[in-house]
Formats: sequence, structure tokens, C-alpha cells
Amino acid sequence: MHLALQPGELTFLVGPSGAGKTTLLKLINREIRPTRGEVWVDGIAAHALKASRVADLRRRVGVVFQDYKLLPRLTAMENVALALQVGDLRVSDQEASERALDALDAVGLGDRGGAFPHQLSGGQQQRVALARAVAAQPPLLIADEPTGNLDLETSWEMMDLFGDIAAFGTAVLIATHNVEIVKRLQRRVITLVHGRLVRDQPAGQTGRLAWLASS
Amino acid sequence: MAGIVVKGRFPRRRIVQTVAVNVFRYLFRGAARNWFRNMGSTAPALGSMTLLLLLSGLIGLSGLALYNLEKVEAGQASLLHVYIKDGATTTDVDVLWDRLARDPRVATVYYTTKAEALKRAQHIPGLPQIASATDANPFPASLDVQAKNIDDVAAIDTMVRNDIAVDPAYPTSYDQGAYQRIQAVLFGVGVAGLAFLVLLGFVAVTVTMNSIRAAIHSRRDEVTIMQLVGAPRWMVRGPFVVEGAITGGLAGAAAGLVTFALAMTGITAGAATFAQFAPGITVAVAAIAATIVLAAGLGLGSGSSLISVRRHLES
Repeated sequence: MHLALQPGELTFLVGPSGAGKTTLLKLINREIRPTRGEVWVDGIAAHALKASRVADLRRRVGVVFQDYKLLPRLTAMENVALALQVGDLRVSDQEASERALDALDAVGLGDRGGAFPHQLSGGQQQRVALARAVAAQPPLLIADEPTGNLDLETSWEMMDLFGDIAAFGTAVLIATHNVEIVKRLQRRVITLVHGRLVRDQPAGQTGRLAWLASS
Repeated sequence: MAGIVVKGRFPRRRIVQTVAVNVFRYLFRGAARNWFRNMGSTAPALGSMTLLLLLSGLIGLSGLALYNLEKVEAGQASLLHVYIKDGATTTDVDVLWDRLARDPRVATVYYTTKAEALKRAQHIPGLPQIASATDANPFPASLDVQAKNIDDVAAIDTMVRNDIAVDPAYPTSYDQGAYQRIQAVLFGVGVAGLAFLVLLGFVAVTVTMNSIRAAIHSRRDEVTIMQLVGAPRWMVRGPFVVEGAITGGLAGAAAGLVTFALAMTGITAGAATFAQFAPGITVAVAAIAATIVLAAGLGLGSGSSLISVRRHLES
């Protein structure tokens, strides 16, 4: 497959289970290494990166997971601040706290910075995860089924946030099964089936989803 | 109205301070917190490492004492007393002296009179009784020959034992094979001690590696999250290595203290006897041994953790 994401573009990655959506996201984030082909992220050759340099790549890619992956012993604010400081040790505690609170504020959780993950609802935890992913302002944000554990209303709130993030110039790639959201938002849709890119539909021309039509 | 933005450089000192604080927090404070949290699984490693280091310290000190003992024995073994018969003339003794002094295998030759021999004997356990048993001086005069090489003592003995000036009944102090027997015993003890230490070291390293492996598995989610948010490799691996170093450091400190205490007890309790069977073991040597044990603990703990982390923690 050949695929390029542009800054400020929100793209959905769809396809049946086992199509390779998560694998593609993992290739981008270098959780797995491609056996062949190339993956370039913000000028970095992810496919050829040494293990010791993978962290450099991951600081350029914000990631949101279905299961949030927050550190349970840290508060919401500390979870976000951690991502800022491990990415750049020059960030002081005060700066990290301020930027973390800004990020939480941006996702509507400015008043819950002191709460631990178990004190937050699923939607709130996902928003903390989103704040963590974008706090360092990476050029690319990838999300693997970010609404998978959320109710419909919260899912729409999350999608609004993803849209806002893309509007600020971040390339956003969301792997999802949520057909309703994909259809209504009318953004670019990439369809994978059995590891192959079968259709790349530009924003506003989504029409019928290829993998639904084929199934 | 257009605004003016002044971008001042952030003071370098503040940057260094911030980096140092963050490194300390993520590397050392985190490791110390996790070490206390995992104390239960670390206890076997701590115990076996303490035992290993304590035995290493004691075996090390014993080895040093044996080495010194061997040096003393070697010095004594390479000194050949050539006993002069009572009726030997001065000329005969001088001729023998010259012959020995010219020999390239000989380092020094010293003439010990009968009076000096008696005086020396009075300091050797058991001999004063012999000296006082008779009015006459029973100890012969001797030429004390210091050989350059211990292996030449036998040849020198052969060369002088039939000399006219030498006592035919008891010509020299040469005891064939005595030094070799001591050497063989010391070598055997050394090899056995080393083998024991290697075995114990293997056990300690394996137990420490397993405890770090257990720590990695118990914190797998945390490690994954750290990796996914872009934590550099040293920040993910470092705390585990520091945890190992804490374990090794504590074990080393405990073992070092006990080693030092035991050595001090020996030195102070039986000063004369201790110096005889453990020559060269002083307070300074005991302190150095304790420091080496501590350093070995730190190295062993962090080293085995590093091996475990490299094996069980993927990038």
C-alpha cells in the first residue's frame, strides 16, 4: 500500500477485523518493524530506525488507545506531565504542570487534574489520554479504536476533540469500527481489507464504505 | 499596535538543574520507590548476594593471608643454613664462604656464629628448653645462604654438603619437597575457594536476574506506557539497573561490614596469634577489603540487572 497523511488532515482507517488497521498504526509508531517497505514520519525513517532511536520517533507521534493506558498511580495531570518530561528532560515541573493543565483544559478536564484514573469515567480517562497524546504537540496523532469503550454521546465529544486537534495542523489517523461516525463526519476514509489498501476516499466523498459494500 | 516579543535565552544553569532533577526523579527516586514496593521478591536476591559477598570477603582475606604466608615460606625455603662442623678451621670456612659468594645462584652469604645461633634459637618455640638443658651451646655456627631462586636451593645443597668445613652429620637445613608440599596445599585451597566463589556467584547472579525479571513482568504495563509516550531507552531500563544496584549495594554494605567486623575481632582479640596465621591482615587491609566487597556488590547487582533487562525488556 502507498499512503500519505497531510498536516491538518483527519483520516479514518476502516476495515473488517483482521484487516491490518492496528498493525498499520503499530508500524507507524514502530511498535513493530516492517519486514519490507518504508514508513516515514515527519522526516524520520521509522522502518530503518535503530531500537535506541525509537523514542525520537514516538515523541513525534501522539497515541490514543481504546484502553486509555494511563498510569494508575499518577493523577490525570501527572500522566500528562510525565509524557512532556520523558520526551524532554529540560521541561521543569512547573512548566510541565502548566502545560498539562492547559492540555486538560483543552479537552474539558481542567478541573479534574488532581483525579486519579480510577476516579474518572471512561470518557474522561480517554480525554486524559488524548491530552497526554497532544500535550507535546506532535505532528501526527494516531488513535486505535478511541471510542471503542465509550457511549455514543462521549464518542461524539471525542470526535469533536480530534477535529479540533486536526484543525490546529496535526495529522490525525483514527482506526475505528464506528461506521456512524465515519459516515457523518465525511472525512478522508482509508479502507483496508486483508492488509491491502482497497480504497482511499477523500473528505466529503465518502459515500458507501468499501469494506461494508464488500462484506 | 504591533507587539514586541523578546525571546530571552533560558539560563543554562536552570536547564542543567531541571535536567538533573528530572533524571534523579525518573532514574533514582523511581527505582528506590519500586525497590521498596518489590522488597518481597527482592529478598532472596538480597540474601544470596549478601552471603556470596560475605564469603568472597572472607575468602579474599584468607587468600591474602595465605599468599603472604606462602611468601614467608618461600623466603624461608630459599634460605639455606649450611652448618659448620665444630672443628672446622677458619681457612676452610673462608674457602667455603668465597665459593658460595662467587656462585651466581647465590644472593647473599651471612656467617652466623654459635652465639648468634643460640640467641636466635631462644626465640623459636621449643628450642629454649634444649638450649638450657646443657651448659654447652648445642647450636652450630652456620653460613646462611640466600638463594636468588628457590629452585636452586637443592643444587647449592648438593654442592656444599660434602665440603670439609660442613658438619657431616647434619650438613644443611634443606628439606627436600617441603616447600613444594606447601605450594601444592595452598594451590589446592586457592582452586577450591575460587570454584566455590564461582558457583556462589552464579547462584547470586541468577537469583538477582530472576528478581529483576519478576519486577519487569509486574510492571510491564507501566514499561509499555513509558515506551509509548517516548521515554528514551535509558529511562525505561535505568530504574531496573538502579534497583539491582540498590540490592547489590545493600548486600555489599552488609557483607563488607561483617567482613570488617570479623577481621577486626581477629586482629584485636588474638593479636600475636592472628598475625602469625594471617600475616598481612591489618586494619587498613580489612577496610580496603570491606570497600571492595561494597563495590563488588554494586557491580554485581547492577550488572546482573543489566543482563536481565537486556534479555527480558524489548525496546
